[in-house]
Amino acid sequence: MFFNSIDFAIFLPIVFLLYWFVAKKSLRLQNILLLIASYFFYACWDYRFLFLLIFSTLLDYSTGIKMGEATNPGKKKFWFWLSVIVNLGFLGVFKYFDFFAASFADGLSLLGIKTNFWLLNIILPVGISFYTFHGLSYVIDIYQNRIRPEKNFVDYSVFVSFFPLLVAGPIERATHLLPQIKKQRSFDYTHAADGLRQILWGLFKKIVIADNCAEYANAIFNNSEVFSGSTLVLGALFFAFQIYCDFSGYSDIALGTARLFGIDLLRNFAFPYFSRDIAEFWRRWHISLSSWFRDYVYIPLGGSKGGTWMKVRNTFIIFLLSGFWHGANWTFIIWGALNALYFLPSLLLNKNRNNLDTVAVGRLLPSIKDLLNITITFGLTLFAWIFFRAENVHHAVQYISEIFSGSLFNLPEKEAFAESENNFFIILLLLVLFITIEWIGRAQEYAIAHIGLKWPRMLRWGFYSIIVFLMAMYMSTSGSAFIYFQF
Amino acid sequence: MKKFLKQFLVFIFYATAVYLVLLVIWGEFMPNMYKKNLNYSPGSYGHMYSRIREAEKVTNMDIVFIGSSHAYRGFDTRIAEEYGFKSFNLGSSAQTPVQTKLLLEEYLDKLKPKMIVYEVYPYTLMNDGVESSLDIIANGNINHEVLNMAFSLNNIKTYNSLLYGYYRVLFNRNKDFEENTVIGNDTYIPGGFVEKKMAYNQTPSGTEVKETEWIPIHYQVAALDKIIGLAKEKGIKLVLVQSPVTKAEFKKYINNDAIDSFYSAKAVYYNFNQSLALSDSTDFYNSDHLNQNGVRIFNNAFFHIIKK
Repeated sequence: MFFNSIDFAIFLPIVFLLYWFVAKKSLRLQNILLLIASYFFYACWDYRFLFLLIFSTLLDYSTGIKMGEATNPGKKKFWFWLSVIVNLGFLGVFKYFDFFAASFADGLSLLGIKTNFWLLNIILPVGISFYTFHGLSYVIDIYQNRIRPEKNFVDYSVFVSFFPLLVAGPIERATHLLPQIKKQRSFDYTHAADGLRQILWGLFKKIVIADNCAEYANAIFNNSEVFSGSTLVLGALFFAFQIYCDFSGYSDIALGTARLFGIDLLRNFAFPYFSRDIAEFWRRWHISLSSWFRDYVYIPLGGSKGGTWMKVRNTFIIFLLSGFWHGANWTFIIWGALNALYFLPSLLLNKNRNNLDTVAVGRLLPSIKDLLNITITFGLTLFAWIFFRAENVHHAVQYISEIFSGSLFNLPEKEAFAESENNFFIILLLLVLFITIEWIGRAQEYAIAHIGLKWPRMLRWGFYSIIVFLMAMYMSTSGSAFIYFQF
Repeated sequence: MKKFLKQFLVFIFYATAVYLVLLVIWGEFMPNMYKKNLNYSPGSYGHMYSRIREAEKVTNMDIVFIGSSHAYRGFDTRIAEEYGFKSFNLGSSAQTPVQTKLLLEEYLDKLKPKMIVYEVYPYTLMNDGVESSLDIIANGNINHEVLNMAFSLNNIKTYNSLLYGYYRVLFNRNKDFEENTVIGNDTYIPGGFVEKKMAYNQTPSGTEVKETEWIPIHYQVAALDKIIGLAKEKGIKLVLVQSPVTKAEFKKYINNDAIDSFYSAKAVYYNFNQSLALSDSTDFYNSDHLNQNGVRIFNNAFFHIIKK
C-alpha cells in the first residue's frame, strides 16, 4: 500500500475516524487500533514477512525487559548482545548475504580460485533496515541506562510498527516516540490541519516532481552509453531532484499522517539543497539516519574528541556504514566514502559547524557568497548521486568519464527526452516553481507550512486547491514506488 | 474534531470547484504542451468522430468489424460489399477490450449485426487502454458506459478528459466541429474503413525488433470475456481475427503459440500471420499496418473463408 495510492486514501480516513471516534476515550484502545492498522498496512506489502516484524518486535521487547531485570552487568551484556546479534543477523541474511557471497567469490576469482557460492536470492523484506534500527536504538538506550524497558507490549509494538514510519522511516528513538505513545492524546485542530498540509506538500513532491524527474533520470541512466556528457549531467540533475522529492516527499506524508493521530515524528529533511557546505548538508539530509549513526556509532567510537586520526577514522566509519545501510552494492559504499572525503576538510579545519542557521535569513535572495557555496555543495552531492544511482561501479565510472569528455559541451540529445519531449519544459517550469516555494519556506519545517496562514481562508484554500490541480494535471501517470522502500 | 471534519468537507467542495474551473481554463486556453494530463481532441486521429456519427445512422449489418487500428485500416467495407456483406467498421486507435466492450454495448442494438469480427492484435491486451479511452471520450458520446470505463481504467488523464468533455458537451462547445474526410494521407470511407494513401514499408528488412513475452492485463482479459458473453447473449456469431503484420513484428512475441491457444479457447479464431503470401515491403506501409495491396490480399482471403 503506497502513500500515493487509492488504497491508502481509503485506509487512512477509516483508521483516522475509528481512532478519534470509536477509540477516543481509551488510550489502550487507540494503541491497539494503531497496532492492528500498522500490521494490516505492512501485510498489504507482503504478509509473509509480517512474522519477521513481529519476531523482531518480540525479541527487542523481551531482551529489553531481561536487561532491566538483570542483576549483574554480565547478564545485561548477554541480553544486549543477543538482541544486537540477532537483529543484525537478520539484516545480514536478508540484505547482505548475497552481496558478501558474490564479493567473496569475485575476490577469490581474482586470485584464480574458481568458486560456486550459493546465493539466497531472497526478496528484501520491506522496511527491515528501518525497524531493525528502531529496535537497536531501543536496546542500546536501555543498555546505556538512558531509558527504562517498556513493559507494555502493545505500546512497544506501536513504537516499532507505527504505520506512517514503518516502511521508510523516519528512524525514531524510543526517547522521543514512546512517551508520546504512552500519553493520552487529544484531538488538536491546528495540529491535524498542519498534518494535512504537510501530506499535500509531500504528495506534490512525490507524484509531480519526483516521478516526472524519474522518467528522464531513468531514460538517461539506463542508456547512458549513447548520450553525451551534457545529457548525462541533466540525468544526474533529474536524479538529484527525484531522490530528494521522493524521499522527503515520503517523509512529509509520514510526518503529516502521524500528526493526524496526535503524534510528532522526528524531522527527516530540512531543505538540504540550500546547504552551504557538506556538513550542513548532512545536518539537513535524512536527519534521523545521520543522527542515529552519530549517537550510536560516532560518539561511542570517540567522536571528534580524539586526535586527527580518530576523527578521520570515525568519519569514514559512519559514512561507509551509512552507504552500506542503503544497500548491498559497492556503489553505495563509494557514495558514502565520497561524502566522507567531502566532509573531512571542514571537520579537520573545525569549520563543520559554520552554517548552523538558515541561509539568507530575512532576505529575499542569497548573497553571492551563499549562492556560490550552495552551488558548489549541490555540485558535490550531484557527483556523488551518480554512484548512488548507477547499476554498478563500472557504470558509474563510465558515466562520469563521459561527463568529463568533450561531449559535455555538445547540446543534449533530443532522444533522451523522446518519450515525453513535450513535457520536458513543463517539468523544468515545475522545478523552478518547486524550488521557489521551497526557498520561500526554507525557514519552516516544510515549505508550505506557513505560506498563506495569514491570508483570508478562501485565498489560502485557493492556494492549496491550485496545488491539488497541479498534481492532477502534471502527475506522472507511469508512477513508481518510493525509492527508499528498497532499503 | 467535528469542526475539523466539517471544514475538511467544505474544503473538498471548494477545491473541487476550483479544480473544475482551472480544468476548463486549461482546456480552453493552454497550448497542448501544457496539458500533460488533459487530452481532449475531437477528430485527432483515425476518423473516430466521423465513424461514430455514421454508426448512429446505419443498421441491420451483416458484419461489424471492431478492434484497434488493425481493424479500421485492415477490413475494407467496400471489399466486404463485393462479397455480398453489408458491414460497418467500429475500430478505433489503440482500442483495447475495455473500449471494445463499451462500443459494442452502445452500438450492437443499433447496428444489429449477424456477425462480429473482432481484430485481436495481441498488444491490445497488454495495453492499459488509456490512449483509446481519450479517443472515445473526445469523439464518442459521453454516457454512463464511458463513466464506467473511466472508473475501470482509473487514470487521471481519462478522468480529466472526461470532466472536460462533459463541459464541452454541456455548453455545446463542439457544435461547429467538422471532421474532414481526408486528413493527411488518410481518407475516411463510408462504413468506417480508413484508406491510407498508397505507401510502402520503409523499415529495412532484418531490422531487429525487441523480443517480448505476451502477458495480458487481467482487466483486459475480463473485458474480453464480457465481450464474448455479450455476443453469446445476443445470439451474434463472434469471430476473433489476428490480421497480418510484418514477419519481424509477428515474431517479437516469444510466446505466439500461447497467444493462439488463448484466443482459440475463447471463440472461433483465425490468425492470418504466416498463412498469406504477403511481402513485408510491398504489402505494408509500416511494420504492423497493411497498405491497400495488403488489405486486398488479406480481405480476399478472409471473406473467402467467411463466405464458406
